[in-house]
Amino acid sequence: MTRKLYLSLLYIFLYLPILVVVCFSFNNASHSLLWHGFTWHWYGELFNDSDLAIVASHSLMIATLAASTATLIGTLAAVSLASYQFRLKKSLNQLLFSLIIIPDLVLGISLLLIFRLLEIPSGFWTLLIAHVTFCIPFAAVTIIGRMNLINKNLIEAARDLGALDFTIFYRIIVPLLWPAIVASWLLSFTLSLDDVVISYFVSGPNFEILPLAIFSMVKLGVKPEVNALCSIMLLVTLVIVIFAQRALSKKQ
Amino acid sequence: MNQNKLFKYASISVVSVWLGLFALVPIVLVFICSFLNHNDQSFFIWDFTFKNYTQLFNGIYLKILLRSLELAVSCTLLCLLIGYPAAFMLARLRSRYKPLLMLLLMIPFWTSSLIRSYAILALLKTKGLLNLFLLSLGIIHQPLEILYTNSAVLIGCVYNLLPFMVLPLYANIEKLDNNLLDAAQDLGAGRFKTFKDVIIPLTIPGIMAGTLLVFLPSITLFYIPTILGGAKSLLLGNLIENQFMMMQNWPGGSATSMALTALMIPLIWMYQHFATKGQQQVLL
Amino acid sequence: MTLSHKPKGYLLKRIKLAIFVFVALLFVSSPIALLPISGSLNVYNWADYIPKHIIHKFERETGIRVNYAEYDNNETMYAKLRTNPQNGYDVVVPSSYFIERMTQQDMLHTIDFSKIPNSQHLNPLLMHGGYDPKNQHSLPIVFGTTGIMVNDLYYDPRKITGWSDFWKPEFKNELMILNDVREVFAVSLRSLGMSVNARDPEEIRKAYLHLKELVPNIKLFDPGAGVSIYTDEDAWIGMIYSGAAYSAMQENAHLHYIYPKEGAGLWVDCYAIPKNAPHLENAYKFINYMLRPDINVEIIKASGYSSANLKAMQSLPPELRDNKVLNPDQSLLQGAESIQDVGGKAKGTYEHYWQLFKISS
Repeated sequence: MTRKLYLSLLYIFLYLPILVVVCFSFNNASHSLLWHGFTWHWYGELFNDSDLAIVASHSLMIATLAASTATLIGTLAAVSLASYQFRLKKSLNQLLFSLIIIPDLVLGISLLLIFRLLEIPSGFWTLLIAHVTFCIPFAAVTIIGRMNLINKNLIEAARDLGALDFTIFYRIIVPLLWPAIVASWLLSFTLSLDDVVISYFVSGPNFEILPLAIFSMVKLGVKPEVNALCSIMLLVTLVIVIFAQRALSKKQ
Repeated sequence: MNQNKLFKYASISVVSVWLGLFALVPIVLVFICSFLNHNDQSFFIWDFTFKNYTQLFNGIYLKILLRSLELAVSCTLLCLLIGYPAAFMLARLRSRYKPLLMLLLMIPFWTSSLIRSYAILALLKTKGLLNLFLLSLGIIHQPLEILYTNSAVLIGCVYNLLPFMVLPLYANIEKLDNNLLDAAQDLGAGRFKTFKDVIIPLTIPGIMAGTLLVFLPSITLFYIPTILGGAKSLLLGNLIENQFMMMQNWPGGSATSMALTALMIPLIWMYQHFATKGQQQVLL
Repeated sequence: MTLSHKPKGYLLKRIKLAIFVFVALLFVSSPIALLPISGSLNVYNWADYIPKHIIHKFERETGIRVNYAEYDNNETMYAKLRTNPQNGYDVVVPSSYFIERMTQQDMLHTIDFSKIPNSQHLNPLLMHGGYDPKNQHSLPIVFGTTGIMVNDLYYDPRKITGWSDFWKPEFKNELMILNDVREVFAVSLRSLGMSVNARDPEEIRKAYLHLKELVPNIKLFDPGAGVSIYTDEDAWIGMIYSGAAYSAMQENAHLHYIYPKEGAGLWVDCYAIPKNAPHLENAYKFINYMLRPDINVEIIKASGYSSANLKAMQSLPPELRDNKVLNPDQSLLQGAESIQDVGGKAKGTYEHYWQLFKISS
């Protein structure tokens, strides 16, 4: 009985704030937190706000590109680390590990430094590079986890039959890793979409992204449009999480 | 055979070049920058000095460090106290709703912590739901001023980081061999003793993983204190952000970042030593 | 093996599809990303100065897309411009004392007045200020005061007369303080009877020590949301800019704006164009548009800030013209002092102590 009570309280604690935001995005009142009736008005405002639409499209664009690139590089990294022996192997392993451990904040400022050194103006490209970089370790780890399930004999057999490494990669490894690849794409997509800290340091005036826009709005106070925006973001993340879970739990 | 090696070299090069240029070099830059100086005109000038580090030991910076540690430790302890029983109960649950409950736990884990902090802001405001609720029940007569205090920041941190504590613990507890527990009970150990001497030691890897996953972010998150704490410079994260953006003191900011990273190394070492015995795996 | 029962080439097709989608996305999005930012404009302005609907009006009438970002203090704006030499901002709105500094550091474009015909409406009294005698780099646009806001549901406004009241123990953890180094130091300096433009490091240090004593009373630093924080009663007393005060008082009748007896803060903010502005022509169009008297009247009504545009101010409806917050008379401005540039060294001193102050709060 205590078990049920404790767990219920926990879940209420976890979800109450989110539910409050979602509920009040439908509240027919501009300031008050008392219920004044159901309305889609704030969502309407949101869709009419072309600035926000542009910012959202920027975020989606970066997230898609970053997720794809990071998954590609992450897969290459995972496969290389698991299959080959090469001189840089240990260093690469440690670098990947450190990237996960190092706080976003430090990653953000370090990228700021290199972009300044290379004189790349802050904007689309700095954001993209930054997002790809911080997603790679997560993609790599997800895929390495799955690599261990691949039967090494299969690869040996293919090699014995004269297949080239690239063919083995393309026809055997990637199909077998497919659920993990999908999962790491979704993971990178979510991470990129939600990233505030790293983007804060490397973004420029021309290319505003959603989390930073939300951050400015949140600093300015609680507003119904922000409630609506957050609810939509929550929904998008929810859908992605469910897909990712299903992708990962396939063929287990 | 040359064609075959091509794939190997190509993939290793792509990965190494990208990570080398955009991960390794930047971090080295931060390290170098921490020893430079700065002045009114430019962000850093090639004048080597240790002063960025020595000033970290001076009173006020030390105070921030202590305050950050205090918050991080309280947050971690609270997460542990709340999260351990939760993980334990969930892991031992025999119910068909278990996958659903786990999914429900994962969802906050994936949603933006910015949005969730905003949700806490909405709750804790003077005219927020919490105050409305307590006022209408007559429990209090003047609204509680929780927002913009250290408590609000702590609540925000715990709220954001709790799933990070529960998930590794859950993974660990689920794998506990029931035979061990049965054996302990057969040998006459009571429930409490079983818990103390069998379960807890066996779940140390989970505790360590959870502690690590909560402690590290709680020192570096800077937007939670900004949103919930009234932008009062509480944490190391805010200090670094301040040094880079406001004070334009890049060497100082770099030094503080290095110090921050250095703080984390003992923890990571502890984790690797106690939790991943024999495994060469990367974290997670 | 798990693959044997799938139709031949099934997974191969999936991979090919994925690669195709990836490449297609890259192809489709790259023109958008590489699109030279023509037909657009990057504006960086104080929070709450120009309402969104005016920006949209400008966009509709000129076809120029505006990237509008906001800041809550000069130092942030200045730092952003310095961090990114090709910063990409076309219009910024520094306070007068920053115009002086930015001119010295060659950060501003010389203004071509022939491109801004509406500048003829500007109040001649506000032009040619000491910080920019020939108005080569700036155009005054907004001026106002910094004073005290009080919510009469919690505190009696009659009992609050000056900055020194902030230090009273009854305000423990109650004050909202602006996030601006010079404004906050001005409060401390005034309450100690010193000039807000003190340059002597000893005086600045005294002001800092006095501020340190204020720390227990500070609840939060204004994140740029002054209006909603006071109207939602998340803070009941503190500092506020005159325009924000006006807007807040419209929404919440319990709020009062008090001119402190030691002297309110006095400031002027000006339009300026950073040196490497990518969209110079659009910048001129923007400034000219905002100086159009009818547009400026709308801005004044929405933001609550007094404008340097004389024609606009004269066209205001009487209830705004007579409003004490927008248009204080001389008696209220007793002892008011405007903030000026204090030179690089003193600026550094102020910022050094500001950081210590923020760290200790």
